[in-house]
Amino acid sequence: MVPSPTRVAALQGLGVPADRLDRLSAALRLPPRRPGSPAGEEFGASVLLLVGDAGAVEAPDFWQRPFGAWIEVASLSDAQIVEAARRAARADLFACVTTVTANRLHLAGRILNGLAALHPMPEAQRDDMELALHEAISNAVVHGNLQVEGMKGLSVEALERFSHDLAARMADPAFADRRIEVAAWLESACAVVEVADEGTGFARPERIDYGASGRGLDLIAAIVEELQLLDGGRRIRMRFPL
Amino acid sequence: MDYGIEDKEQETLVRLRGRLTFNDHAKLRALIREMLQNKAKRQVLDLSTLEFVDSAGIGMLLIAREEMANADKQLVLRSAAGQVKRVLTVAQLNKIVTIED
Repeated sequence: MVPSPTRVAALQGLGVPADRLDRLSAALRLPPRRPGSPAGEEFGASVLLLVGDAGAVEAPDFWQRPFGAWIEVASLSDAQIVEAARRAARADLFACVTTVTANRLHLAGRILNGLAALHPMPEAQRDDMELALHEAISNAVVHGNLQVEGMKGLSVEALERFSHDLAARMADPAFADRRIEVAAWLESACAVVEVADEGTGFARPERIDYGASGRGLDLIAAIVEELQLLDGGRRIRMRFPL
Repeated sequence: MDYGIEDKEQETLVRLRGRLTFNDHAKLRALIREMLQNKAKRQVLDLSTLEFVDSAGIGMLLIAREEMANADKQLVLRSAAGQVKRVLTVAQLNKIVTIED
């Protein structure tokens, strides 16, 4: 049987100590892949990258096939990594990273590159999907994990307050180390993408007083075929027609 | 996001480059300050080399518009293309801000 091109079939470490990688490889029953080995040919499937060095993973090479899942180690225990890897196995593309890393990587663009590699699409469609995913991730980062309120009103003061709160929370590990998880998979004639955060949840208000903030969810709704808020608003599921 | 400012006879032309997202709050504050300080009434943002804008970027452009209006100046968005043009359309910004091709 030819394995699915997105089935996670090997593990690679980036800045992860060798003994820990061996331990996780055994726990996950995934063979280790050495850096620089041929691009996935030996598996015909995708590679899970365990990211110990969040700076090094900015290189575009780590976001192309055969890589299809990314888990940033940071403060996760082995058991938590194994749990995350199980969730990764259910998706075609999967990323579980800290809030700071999600923001620094421009994660939406990278996930969209991965989706476009699995299912080629016109540029305008790719742009729309990237915007919707970027808005979902931004909401998860800013309002979910960092618990920063949007800009109220249309003044420089509102912008300054937003600036100040965002910088303070991004520098506070209690907020900035919270997780952002993105899972994407292809179904017949559509792509489903979920974004989850570890914030206090969110209920979509019936009426929004637009200041400089508040447009993100409407933009998403204008683009997607279907939008669901799950887990008390900590997880958004978007369905895109393909 | 980066920007360059060019003072012309009738207007100030500001060219935005790169990505305009919620991460650019400090840059936008600096830009608004500069636009308030110069003399021209017409403050034109040239978006032709802007690659990506998000809802927070739109929000910050609306703050710029409001601040210009309070100072009796006009904000104009010009030459948006690709993704940026698409977002301005989806967000129906033409109802609030002057948009030129």
